[in-house]
Amino acid sequence: MKYGWIALLSFLLFFGCGEDESAIKVDLSIKEQIILQEEPSVITYAYLPQYSHTVSHTRHHSLIQYLRKETGLNIKQIFPDTFDEHMKMVGQEKIDISYSNPCIYIKIAHRYGAKAFARIVEVTGKDKFRGQIICRADNASIQTISDCRHKRWIAVDSASAGGYLFPLGHFIGHGITKKDFKEIAFAPGPGGKQEKVVLSVYAGKYDIGTIREGTLDVVSGRIDINQIRIVSMTDPYPGWVYAARKNLDAKVVEKLKQAFGKLDFNHKNHREILEAANFIKVIGSSDSDFDSVRRLAARVGISLEE
Amino acid sequence: MKLGFRGKIILSFFSLLLIHGLVIFFWVSHVVKESMLEELKNRGISIGISLSARMVEPILAMDFLRMKVLVDETVQLGDDIFYTFVLDNKGNPLIHTFKDGFPVGLKAANTVSGNQKGSIQLLDTGDQLIFDCAVPVIINDNRLGTLRVGLFQTRAEKVVNKIMISVVVTIILAILIAGVIGMLLLNPVTRSIKKFYESSEQALRGNLDVRTAPMLKKNCWDIMQCHQIECPAYKNYHHRCWYLAGTLCPECVEGEYARTIDSCQQCQVYKRCSGDEIQTLAESFDAMTLSLKGNLSDLKSAESILNEQKALLQMILDAIPDFISLQDHEGRYISINRAFCEMLDKDKEDIVGRVNNDLFSGTLADHYNREDRKILETGIPLVKENRVPGSKGPKWLHVVKIPVSEANDQVKGLVCSGRDITQLKAVQEQLTQAQKMESVGRLAAGVAHEINTPLGIILGYAQLVLEDVEKDGQIYEDVATIVKQTKHCSKIVADLLNFSHSRESNIIVFNINEAVEEVLGMVEHTFSLNHVIIKYEYDKNPLLMKGDKEKLKQVFINLLNNAFDAIKENGSICVNTGIGKTQNEIKISISDTGAGIAKENINKIFEPFYTTKGPGEGTGLGLSVTFGIIKEHNGTIKVYSPPLSGDKEEGGAQFIVALPSGLNTKKGEQNG
Repeated sequence: MKYGWIALLSFLLFFGCGEDESAIKVDLSIKEQIILQEEPSVITYAYLPQYSHTVSHTRHHSLIQYLRKETGLNIKQIFPDTFDEHMKMVGQEKIDISYSNPCIYIKIAHRYGAKAFARIVEVTGKDKFRGQIICRADNASIQTISDCRHKRWIAVDSASAGGYLFPLGHFIGHGITKKDFKEIAFAPGPGGKQEKVVLSVYAGKYDIGTIREGTLDVVSGRIDINQIRIVSMTDPYPGWVYAARKNLDAKVVEKLKQAFGKLDFNHKNHREILEAANFIKVIGSSDSDFDSVRRLAARVGISLEE
Repeated sequence: MKLGFRGKIILSFFSLLLIHGLVIFFWVSHVVKESMLEELKNRGISIGISLSARMVEPILAMDFLRMKVLVDETVQLGDDIFYTFVLDNKGNPLIHTFKDGFPVGLKAANTVSGNQKGSIQLLDTGDQLIFDCAVPVIINDNRLGTLRVGLFQTRAEKVVNKIMISVVVTIILAILIAGVIGMLLLNPVTRSIKKFYESSEQALRGNLDVRTAPMLKKNCWDIMQCHQIECPAYKNYHHRCWYLAGTLCPECVEGEYARTIDSCQQCQVYKRCSGDEIQTLAESFDAMTLSLKGNLSDLKSAESILNEQKALLQMILDAIPDFISLQDHEGRYISINRAFCEMLDKDKEDIVGRVNNDLFSGTLADHYNREDRKILETGIPLVKENRVPGSKGPKWLHVVKIPVSEANDQVKGLVCSGRDITQLKAVQEQLTQAQKMESVGRLAAGVAHEINTPLGIILGYAQLVLEDVEKDGQIYEDVATIVKQTKHCSKIVADLLNFSHSRESNIIVFNINEAVEEVLGMVEHTFSLNHVIIKYEYDKNPLLMKGDKEKLKQVFINLLNNAFDAIKENGSICVNTGIGKTQNEIKISISDTGAGIAKENINKIFEPFYTTKGPGEGTGLGLSVTFGIIKEHNGTIKVYSPPLSGDKEEGGAQFIVALPSGLNTKKGEQNG
């Protein structure tokens, strides 16, 4: 009995000591300098950063996988932070395939010789899309587009089509110029600009916001979109466009064009790819499809050189 | 040094607290250390996961500046973070926080798969122990790379040590506080136990007036609003009412504690006044000593009574002339009386506890043992008369041995009672002899009656013949001899008749002096012829008594004749009369200067036909007749040889006759 108590006490005392974890010896004195290795024969693919990189990746990585497999090309998605960076990288030939809105496209086509070879069909089934003017649902002072005069306006980006160019043309068409607004601001970058516009209006920081249609669905998981009211919709313009940089091998462009053409929304695997990319079809396109956009830019006074 | 109860309790208490503290310390240290390390690991993983999520966009954008800012900011989160770096999906470092190059050894030191939340590996750099946390950077199932965060284990241990110091201080404080509180709580207990010890010591020393329990604050008479001062519980501040017998509360059940306690436990007094276990113990101890005191008092009283009874019984036993003994079933003497001691001529202490073999000779002891064994085995009492040797000659004992049985009829021992019947035996012998003599007397009286007539005729004719013959002749002498012998025969016959036939008494009141004087007048002349002088001295007062004067005169004649026969010639006879020991007793003394009576014959002289005289001189019936007459008058006769007043060398005998006067005479009347 006595030994039992001693054993119990010893157990209680020494159980608390535990065992030390085994450690791996590492010599920190041996060091190296980091040098990035560029991959050869890479076709770079960039999605105009209207959303965050994560959304961009989420939307397009399956498509890129499909294109890699379908074309046999080493296609890699890269993520420029801003619209300007995107455009510059096209000009620097760091972006081989640019997926951008028509406003950006007319700029890179004008500035860097990019050529459109395909454009998408929206989930609405239309090959065109519109911009939306939104305000808080409980903002009683804004009922019509005329009520937007003297209000604080936040747009996506000066280079945004649905988020700035289309609404600005819409305002001008209704006799409201930039001077009529109390304030015009652009969403801070990089990335996620469309969402930031919605969130700014939702937060009440700005009276109205301009976004491309479909954005409210993107933010529906983050905010109660019933608190947002659409004041007005712009006219439709050609949708997002795939453009090849200047001097990109035509074979590559052809392979891509064929691969895009094969995408069938009714095909199960393709549907997943297309739903992720938020369009239902990719159709062939040419530069002239975007002349209406060029005219709009001219009308609102946007210079393609800027 | 020997520890007391309080010391032992305190030592045990502190030992337990210390052991408890040590166990807690080791457990807490183990748990805290494990928890801290686990927390550290979790922190590393959390930082990694957080940074991994934030690192996705810079990696996608290959924005090294943002990556650098993020890893540097992470390292600055706490001084326990040693490093942070990012490996691309091929395991090559993209960005890190090391100042002068990336340590190559870290690349493969910890790996994590894409489906893992994170991986932790302890690294030993030689100077430090580092927890390396690896977290995959993933977007849409695409592994972009691996984020690694290094945390100092040593610094975590320092935190653990600080915590443990706090724990030790806390435990010591807790032990001290618990010890102080425990001692404060222990004080009443040890005080009570000390009181118990003192009380039990007092009780052991015989002082049962102990007060172990504290004074009561609530009392039954207050609760029940009772004013019965006769109740033993009333104003009894030291004993609870449920421990006391004979309480007068109407709710109380009569009886002993065991009977009443169940009822008492339902009483509101019990519910309000009963204390904790120690108080209950103290109260029950006091009640026990009180009860013990009462019982001891009863016991002493009973012992006193028992001792008195025992002494009384022993006194009775000792006063009984019979000897009595009690033996156990092994024959050992348990109790005896004084007569038994005297019989064995031993002290009581020398007899009690011993057996027959210790007290009697071998043969006798064996004989007694056989007797005792038979009685114990059969249970049949033994009655016997036993002749035993004694210091003053053989003794006759009447012995009764009776078995003593227990309640279950088992023989426990035996009681032996014995009586010295030596005298009784002698009387029995005398009685037998007397009966024999009475028969002989009656026979002789019958014969004498038949002989008396022929003797009278022979005497008459012999006297006629004597008158007719010559006085000088031979015939005359012969006839004279016939006449003489015939007269002698007639006297024998007359004595026989006197002895056997009680004549009708003629009771009168007469002066004994006169009766003596008449007798002396008859014999004085005859005695003087042989020069025997009679000296007499009468009481100056007349000694009146009620009796048969003639018979008493016969007594005096017989005594005087015996005195004369003893003297034969040249002597004196002294006769005195007077008052005896009482006024109603008359004493007559007749002493002579004769040959006296031999000592061995003194007891036989009153037997009939016993005589020391020669043939034809005495019948042996004189003193027997005398004795009979005195007895008839309820008197006594004593004989002394030599006389009480005479010279023992000169011999002689003295007869003292004491006779009751038979009159209710007062001294004044006697004197007047």
